[in-house]
Amino acid sequence: MHPFLADPRKLLVYELAWLVAGVGFATLLRLNDQADWVGALCFTLPLALVWSFDVLSAYYVCRSQPYRQRRWPVTLSLFGGASLLSGLVFLGAGETLNYIGGDIVRGQAFVTMPSAAWVMYFLGGSALYLLSLLAHDVLIAFETVQEAARREAESRVLARDAELQMLRTQINPHFLFNSLNSISALTGFDPAAAREMTVDLAQFFRRTLALAERERITLGEEVTLSEHFLAIEKRRFGKKLNAELRISPEAAQCLLPPMTLQPMLENAIKHGIRQVDGGGTIEVDALVRDGWLHIAVVNPVARDDTPASGHGVGLKNIRERLAVLYGQRARIAWQRSDTRFTIEINLPVDKETGA
Amino acid sequence: MTSLPRLRALVVDDEDLARHLIREYLQGHADVEVVGECENGLDAVKQIGALNPDLVFLDIQMPRLTGLEVLELTGRRAGVIFTTAYDEHAIKAFELHAVDYLLKPFSKARFDDALARARTLHASAAASAASAPAQGVEALVARRGATLERILIRDREQVHVIPVEQVECIEAQGDYLAIEVDGKCHLKPQRISEIEEQLDPTRFLRVHRSFIINLAHLQAIERPGPDRHAARLRSGKRVPISRSGYEKLRELV
Repeated sequence: MHPFLADPRKLLVYELAWLVAGVGFATLLRLNDQADWVGALCFTLPLALVWSFDVLSAYYVCRSQPYRQRRWPVTLSLFGGASLLSGLVFLGAGETLNYIGGDIVRGQAFVTMPSAAWVMYFLGGSALYLLSLLAHDVLIAFETVQEAARREAESRVLARDAELQMLRTQINPHFLFNSLNSISALTGFDPAAAREMTVDLAQFFRRTLALAERERITLGEEVTLSEHFLAIEKRRFGKKLNAELRISPEAAQCLLPPMTLQPMLENAIKHGIRQVDGGGTIEVDALVRDGWLHIAVVNPVARDDTPASGHGVGLKNIRERLAVLYGQRARIAWQRSDTRFTIEINLPVDKETGA
Repeated sequence: MTSLPRLRALVVDDEDLARHLIREYLQGHADVEVVGECENGLDAVKQIGALNPDLVFLDIQMPRLTGLEVLELTGRRAGVIFTTAYDEHAIKAFELHAVDYLLKPFSKARFDDALARARTLHASAAASAASAPAQGVEALVARRGATLERILIRDREQVHVIPVEQVECIEAQGDYLAIEVDGKCHLKPQRISEIEEQLDPTRFLRVHRSFIINLAHLQAIERPGPDRHAARLRSGKRVPISRSGYEKLRELV
């Protein structure tokens, strides 16, 4: 929509300007003795009103010819044609008004129109429209530049957010420092376990760093990463934490964005297993059905758990990432019953080509 | 060593290995005896009450109740050493109130330092309630987090955790607060001005000297007489509104 039409205040100012122009025109006609005051005003004011909207249509003419896709012969003939047509409209509107004044309202034309005036009206109307076309071209170019700058700033912010997000996921300080504390404890009485945990931690971070740089990884690779993560968490939480991963061979070959499954497991431990007195089992199922990769994570939750702060932030992050990468084609849903929390993801199947 | 009074310690952490490490570090200190271990906040509330230990090693991030919530419920202030792996907010608060804390993983030397300080404070037992660290803990508990999200109520052996959105209204009754939830009324020893400060001011409003209402539960404002107003809550309960309360309410609603 034209910026003037979209904003009532701008439109009002614009129409007032035309009103002044209409009065000016009437004064000119009066001074030239072409009309009396009433006739001149009855003629110029409606004309100004019609004309004010007519020149706004130049906006759409300009928009139909985006600057970068212009073929100049086409554009020039379009601009010229539109201007000439507008000249005719201007002339026609004037004549119609005169006809109304002369034959219907008061039996005398509003203004006298010698044939020289016809040419003047026609050329004046055309020139004005051409001017409007050029002004709108400048306006649109200005808008485009602004829009591009805004979009660029926006995408920069988004990119930085995504990067920070990734870094935070990679190096969750809570996870890192707690794991180091567990290793510190293990060195005292089970050095072999301490060594294993160190290796798991190193493997987890090494894989995270490597995978996070890629846009898509196979579910199999994500599962390997998640197994290191689970091995570390099992040391921390002991018998409380069990996990069953059922990944179909076909599903393991599907591609998905890195760090999709691991945050789901992290969420299941943080808000599920950890809050339940006796702990429990996290169940992961992944399979391919009708062209969709289907991943479900189910974990027990405490019955009387009243969520503390930060609940669900991790899940919202996954949802946002999937929305950016897949748009409407990815589905993520979660639900909680009294004792279980289920999260399901559906992605269109995408396999590595040549693999 | 033998001249020092014995210290009875409680270790609170939901991770087995973390508790194990503290026990191991304590082995070198013959004067400290571990009298109990807890793996969640609720358990800690019970044990602190039952054992009244001289020293509590308290993890911040725990299931059920956080470390600070444990302190709120038990009223315990002195003889607390916090442990945490990473909690920017808590660490800032610890620094601000000069409270002793251990960042996991911590060295034996750092642990011994904290223990030595706790021992000295405990030795001057008479002053311990008014000691600087105890007052720091007091300030920490009173001003935890930005706004209160759940209210904790201790009812003999039971602990009720009530999400604030379920609270209909709060009435001051002497030294207690009567907290109305789902037609039930819980009593909690606290001043109304204190809880008013902790609650989110956009969701809760002190409409009267002795009443705070949850705006989400407000159904209508009634006018029982000239210049007198009352709030009708969704449960049907009516709460008086003072003149200044009415002004505040009109601004918000």
